[in-house]
Amino acid sequence: MATTFENSGVLDKSANPKRFRQQFSGKLIQIFSLVVPIILLGLIIFLAINAWPAMKLNGVSFLTNSNWNLGSQYGKPITVDGMQVLPGANYGILFLIFGTLASSFLALLFAIPVGLLAAMFISEIIPSRLRESVALLAELLASVPSVVFGLWGYVVVIPVFSHYVYPVIAAILGFIPFFAAPVRSGYGLLTAGIVLALMVVPIITANMRDAISAVPSADIESAFALGSTRFEMVWKVVLPQIKRPLIGVSILGLGRAMGETMAVLMVSGNALHIPKNIYSPMSTMASFLVSQLSSAMEDPTGMAVNSLVEVGLMLLILGVLVNAAARLLLLNTGKN
Amino acid sequence: MSAEMREANTDGPVFADHVSLGHYRRRRIIGVLGWTLCGGCFVLLAFAMLDILFKVLKGGLTAINLKVLTETTQGVSGGLLQAIEGTVVLTIGSVLIATPLSIGVGVYLSEHRNRFFSKVVRFMSDVLVGVPSIVLGLFGYVALVAGLGWHFSVLAGSITLAVMIIPYISRSVELALLAVPQSLRESAYALGASDASVVARVLIPRSASRIITGVLLGMALSMGETAPVIYTVGWSDYLWNGQVTHQSMGYLTYVIWSFIDQPYQSAHKLAFAAALLITGMVLLITVSTRFTTRYMTIQ
Amino acid sequence: MAISSSVSTDAEAFRDSRDSQTVDQRRSSTETRANSETTARSMKSNSKPQNSQMSKLSVRDLNFYYGDFQAIKNVSLEIEAQKVTAFIGPSGCGKSSLLRCFNRIYELYPGHMATGEIRLNGRNVLDKKVDRNLLRSKIGMVFQKPTPFPMSVYDNIAFGVKLYERLRRHEMQERVEWSLKKAALWDEVKDKLDKSGASLSGGQQQRLCIARAIAVKPEVLLLDEPASALDPIASAKIEELVHELRTDYTVVIVTHNMQQAARVADDTAFFHLGEIIEFTDTDTLFTQPSEKRTEDYITGRYG
Repeated sequence: MATTFENSGVLDKSANPKRFRQQFSGKLIQIFSLVVPIILLGLIIFLAINAWPAMKLNGVSFLTNSNWNLGSQYGKPITVDGMQVLPGANYGILFLIFGTLASSFLALLFAIPVGLLAAMFISEIIPSRLRESVALLAELLASVPSVVFGLWGYVVVIPVFSHYVYPVIAAILGFIPFFAAPVRSGYGLLTAGIVLALMVVPIITANMRDAISAVPSADIESAFALGSTRFEMVWKVVLPQIKRPLIGVSILGLGRAMGETMAVLMVSGNALHIPKNIYSPMSTMASFLVSQLSSAMEDPTGMAVNSLVEVGLMLLILGVLVNAAARLLLLNTGKN
Repeated sequence: MSAEMREANTDGPVFADHVSLGHYRRRRIIGVLGWTLCGGCFVLLAFAMLDILFKVLKGGLTAINLKVLTETTQGVSGGLLQAIEGTVVLTIGSVLIATPLSIGVGVYLSEHRNRFFSKVVRFMSDVLVGVPSIVLGLFGYVALVAGLGWHFSVLAGSITLAVMIIPYISRSVELALLAVPQSLRESAYALGASDASVVARVLIPRSASRIITGVLLGMALSMGETAPVIYTVGWSDYLWNGQVTHQSMGYLTYVIWSFIDQPYQSAHKLAFAAALLITGMVLLITVSTRFTTRYMTIQ
Repeated sequence: MAISSSVSTDAEAFRDSRDSQTVDQRRSSTETRANSETTARSMKSNSKPQNSQMSKLSVRDLNFYYGDFQAIKNVSLEIEAQKVTAFIGPSGCGKSSLLRCFNRIYELYPGHMATGEIRLNGRNVLDKKVDRNLLRSKIGMVFQKPTPFPMSVYDNIAFGVKLYERLRRHEMQERVEWSLKKAALWDEVKDKLDKSGASLSGGQQQRLCIARAIAVKPEVLLLDEPASALDPIASAKIEELVHELRTDYTVVIVTHNMQQAARVADDTAFFHLGEIIEFTDTDTLFTQPSEKRTEDYITGRYG
């Protein structure tokens, strides 16, 4: 379609008293086009400015050590490179990077197969008259607030899994170093991964259902006409065609898992070190931002908050990169 | 149960004269196993979903009573009145800020959709959807709470939540306007209508119900959010005094997170009551928009 | 390989015994129905004398429903082996629906239902006890639009073969070459077997689909308007191919193009509103139709 606003000015409007208003409304809409770019740039700029002192102070060691120490609250601030810092303060977030990547990886490890297979089941086996209600159920799961997932993780996953499931996993897979006992409280990496997986699954299932239904029915009929079973049809003809959206939506899910805050905060144990095994407490970048807020605000030099903002900036960049990648992938699929 | 299992009910291999039957049987077994696995995944998902709803409903119903709805919180007991008030105020505030801006963005995106810049905006908007909400909270904190010196406040929280929902609402406004037939635009312009009146008198009224659906979904998102609100609104045991800055406020999602960790029964009860209220409101909005959308498509 | 061949032999014997058994059944059922009204009517319309010994597919009292709508009404006909049989008629006459009954592909859609009998080698294929996957390995189908799978030319052909046979690599290569030659496509694609099937031209894609169908070695080949989406040259190649294929297969082709039916088919059935109006050898149908409606249709006076 031709852009509508330009086309309307065909008549000579110099004599038209409404001209000013018309032009104004056209311009007004143009101004709105700047809302989203301003927000995005504003986010990056504000966070960058506030993270700058911390970036100067911490340098690369921010990413390479796992020691997060706010320093002595009651000590006299010392000056490092012209910046005020509490004595003994050290900001290293390697453990957060590890926690974020590990929990998101676990989440995707569970969520991709479960989400995909559930989507296959809904699309192919559930009778069509029930399908919409079933899909609604999955959609509702996606709209449950994350703090409620956290609550459920707290009251269901932690007690049940730490008593009945993790000991079994530890017994069976204990020969692999990271899987060995002790299991302890249940707060930790694996629990966070499970709860995150449940939050990511609905996104994968919904998108995969769309992708499956976009496969041409001619391909499906041809596969059946050659004598495929339904499972072979899906496995050999449908799945190869939905690879790209699957990758795209998995990346989208990765973004969701990496940025998820409340659910992880409530089940991860919020430890300030790299977990000793898959069952033990850890933190992610997002959950750390909340768990550390109040103590960081106590720092009179402001360096703790600046360092938290640096974590936030990293999270922002990660989120933007991951999402841009996913959108580009999904965008290209639309064209094919 | 599954199609494979029905198929497997044959009494003998008819038309099997040129195929390897063992191989064929294996294929059938793989099919049955495959679908069983898929069914298992589905059941797992459905079970988790229903269990979440069940636990929230059960815990919430035993905890909720008149006191919860009419009294304010005292420490970790009492009621949730100020938290309910805060959630309502923040939600309405964020929607009031986000909706006009989102309609503007949505109109721009739909009416200039072939421009390069509108593709850029759409892409940025998609990317903004993927920015973790905690990062928006951090932004609200450094820019509004600390930067502008508003302290923890309704305004800082509402603006932060508005930033979060703008991409969602503007996207649904865009889709709503795209659904308006081009012929309707053309006939309005043919009558000599200006751009502004086409948008205000034709496009928006025509797509009002879809736009409202988008706004409601934004509302549900904003209502269920926690992390950015912790960073911008803080927490308070007292009812709101009407100040938009320098005044922290209570809200329901905080209660769920913070009180479930406390070793008191009263705190747990309040957490579950808050969870029921929030989940109930969010799901109510989601389900009702789903049904109105379906109703509209049927129409 | 040894195991599979011995199984096949068993199955062969099994089929043979069943065949003789069902031929008897068929005779008796024909006798008992000889007086029934429906048979009388179909006998009248099927002016073509049928030799049941030679018929490959035999349709008896077939009804087909899309939900409440009856698309095929009490159709009976015999389709002879090693011949090309064409179904013609205006759109919505039930010709495609009938084709989709032969391999039960209609079962994909809830609400689609067929009653009556379709016998292949004497066995009623509509019987729920008949395994539809095995049935479809016997009755190949090619659709209106070319439907190559999004995989290489080679894998497209191997797809169906792998479902039923465990071939060694070189055996599979031979099979692929054989079927592509059969489909008159080998010379055009032998250098691009690893290219995507979608990269071929429309006509080549359709011949690839035919090759894919015959690679499974079916007995019957169903073609649902196979050339209607193609240009005249590609269409002519398909017709030529169809004509050749009848030496090895029983071919049933649905077409809306009467010239095409006249060119490729040995026998032709004219359908109208779900019924067979006339079914006879192609020359007779097009030169001396016995029914007024057939004549109107083939001379373009229909509708």
